[in-house]
Amino acid sequence: MAEKQLESTVRAAAYQKAWFAQLRADVFEKQKPYAIVQADMPLELFHAMDVPVVSNQWWAAMVSAKRLAPYYLDGLNALGYHDGLCRYCSLSLASTIAGDPAQAPWGGLPKPALLSARLTCDCIQRVFETWAAKFGSPFIPLDAPGASELPPRWWELSRHRWSELFESHRLDFMVAQFHSLIRTLEQITGSTFDVVRLRALMEGVNQQEQYFEEVRDMICRAPKTPVRMHEQMSNVMAAQWLRGSDWAIDHARAFRDEVKQRVEAGVAACGSERLRLMWVGAGLWHDTDFYTAFEEQYGAVFVWSMYLAFGPDGYIRYGLDDPLRALASRTVSFNEQLHNPPWASEWIVDQAKKHRIDAALVLEPLGTRPSATGNLFIERALEVAGIPVLPIVADMVDARSWNGLEMRQRVAKFLERV
Amino acid sequence: MGSTLKKIYTERAIKPPGSLPLVGVTSNTVPWELLQAAGFQPVLLSPRRDRTPIADRYMEDVFSARMKAIFDFLLSPESACLSAVVIPRTSEQEHKLYLYLREVMREGKERSPQPILYNLLHAHSPEAEAYGLERTRDLKMQLERLTGRQIEPEALSAAIAEGNAARQALRGLLELREGPAPRLTGSEALALIGAWYFMDRAEYAPLSQEARKEIQTRPPLKGPRILIKGSSQDTSDFCAAIEVHGAIVVAEDDWWGSRAAGQDIDTTLDPIRAIFEKYYFDAPSPRVFPSDIADAWFLRKASEVDGVIFYLPHEDDVIGWDYPRLRDFLDERRIPHVMLRTASSDEIGAFISRIQHG
Repeated sequence: MAEKQLESTVRAAAYQKAWFAQLRADVFEKQKPYAIVQADMPLELFHAMDVPVVSNQWWAAMVSAKRLAPYYLDGLNALGYHDGLCRYCSLSLASTIAGDPAQAPWGGLPKPALLSARLTCDCIQRVFETWAAKFGSPFIPLDAPGASELPPRWWELSRHRWSELFESHRLDFMVAQFHSLIRTLEQITGSTFDVVRLRALMEGVNQQEQYFEEVRDMICRAPKTPVRMHEQMSNVMAAQWLRGSDWAIDHARAFRDEVKQRVEAGVAACGSERLRLMWVGAGLWHDTDFYTAFEEQYGAVFVWSMYLAFGPDGYIRYGLDDPLRALASRTVSFNEQLHNPPWASEWIVDQAKKHRIDAALVLEPLGTRPSATGNLFIERALEVAGIPVLPIVADMVDARSWNGLEMRQRVAKFLERV
Repeated sequence: MGSTLKKIYTERAIKPPGSLPLVGVTSNTVPWELLQAAGFQPVLLSPRRDRTPIADRYMEDVFSARMKAIFDFLLSPESACLSAVVIPRTSEQEHKLYLYLREVMREGKERSPQPILYNLLHAHSPEAEAYGLERTRDLKMQLERLTGRQIEPEALSAAIAEGNAARQALRGLLELREGPAPRLTGSEALALIGAWYFMDRAEYAPLSQEARKEIQTRPPLKGPRILIKGSSQDTSDFCAAIEVHGAIVVAEDDWWGSRAAGQDIDTTLDPIRAIFEKYYFDAPSPRVFPSDIADAWFLRKASEVDGVIFYLPHEDDVIGWDYPRLRDFLDERRIPHVMLRTASSDEIGAFISRIQHG
């Protein structure tokens, strides 16, 4: 595993481990509720009700990083779930079905008080319904109408003019569903939802994302990137899962400060940086060493992924008079912003230019099909902008068909051409 | 028998039949009655294409062959006869089809009929129901803007009556697949049923009734009665692959087959509400939630057949999640079943033989 250059990265990992241990203790010893949710859910509602949240994608990444995905996914297939089904969103379910706490990361997921997901793709309702049945917990879905108005340069509207950016009927509908979800959370916790608390939390999220924006700007401006991409991911996502909390804000600030110190001291993540790379798609969680494999020979450094970059543009919302509606605007269009034309391709090209990207690697996860759409538009837009693209056909969590050596050789050939 | 209907199903011709402008639809969940009342001739897009060179430039391999064929057709000169295409939020791929169409038009690289998104949701909740009704009203307004004239209540009532008459005729055909002695093969049924998506429903009803009368006089068919569950059957090829082994496909959990008609639209309600309720409560979609509602038809039908074939070809990434649950249901009731990823004649033959020989 690649060295951790930042103290923040070490602290983030330690905090996550301790946080999860505390969650398990609270669930087992104090019968406190917690929730398992999709990553694109309004986590803020759960936090405002003191219901800790485990993100499906975070847990899948954990399982994959522990090299357990082949074992769990083979088990799922053996039960009759065929091997063409999506893996990223089902790996955590597979770990629950396997039900072996001794093998599972950090003792495994305890029984949640509820599971919840936005119904974006057609399979996620099935994954979560199956999972909820396995746990014997309720599943609360939020349905997801499609976007039909997509104004250009969404990231220039999303902070202040979010009510114009997203169709009002979609926001109204999401808010109506939020009220239903809140009623469920109130029943589970016995507490009453407090909109003032949600507003304060949303303001905290803004603060946190502003720190991340400063980091992003420093990466753009510094002669060489001060922080490797996979360390960006670790720091950002540890905070995003707890966004708006005191720890998350403090961590974002500390991360910003550490990166700032490195920039001021002229410290680069890779002193021999010659090529700046962009990683488009979810993280390659089973082989994160891949991200540093091209530094020594080619001076090729991954400087951009969506994880840091999306924080400021996707999450900041100013004008919190109606925090539920602002939260709805944060929630309704993740899929369009990150995956689908025109929003994803337009934003990624803009980010590539700002980050002085020399080449892009685009993950094509054929084992997680909904995440693979929009890629041809993204690849073409990057190429039109003069940025060479290498598609990487691989799954983000499933290492079963991954040949790390072969893929590194392919990338090396690509970099030689770049 | 029903040769006209079979020809229409096979040819899937998309050309102006007369004075009415054509509007394409991509699924069973676009309200035919609204389009008809607006003065359009609705036609389902399901072109047969061996190659999809235009679509391949934009659509990743994760899209189904049918969705690629629709996209390819819409970007080809053949689609010039369409005034618009209405795409429902009935599957994730359809929403992406809508976004892709908009984008290639925005880029100015391709031409396509105007895409209209019908944001019908399928999760059963008070919020989704209220939203769907509102979006149905919005679709009506969009169609009115397209034609420049209001949809009159009389036109809506007439379209509902016409659609219901075709549904009744269609259910008449489906009766010939019921019971211990069906008279209609699955291969033939898919053609006779599927034609109604590609033609005027006022014409469909009498042709369907005529076909029914002829088929009724046939002797009953013999062979194990099979229910198909899985990816949509937009051709009769898979049915034929089963029936060549002496079995009879008597039902498909599929909008192309047994579930094409469903119940009539309620004529006692406000027409827009009635139309919405039909497509929200009584139209199959991969997004119907929760599963006990989505599964209800299958669970009932499975107890009326001799065996179930799950067909989950390699492009499936949805129904495969349902398979273990439904398989367990069948096992509990000792209903024979098999799951196939390809139309393997050997596997089908072995399964049919297993049913025949107990």
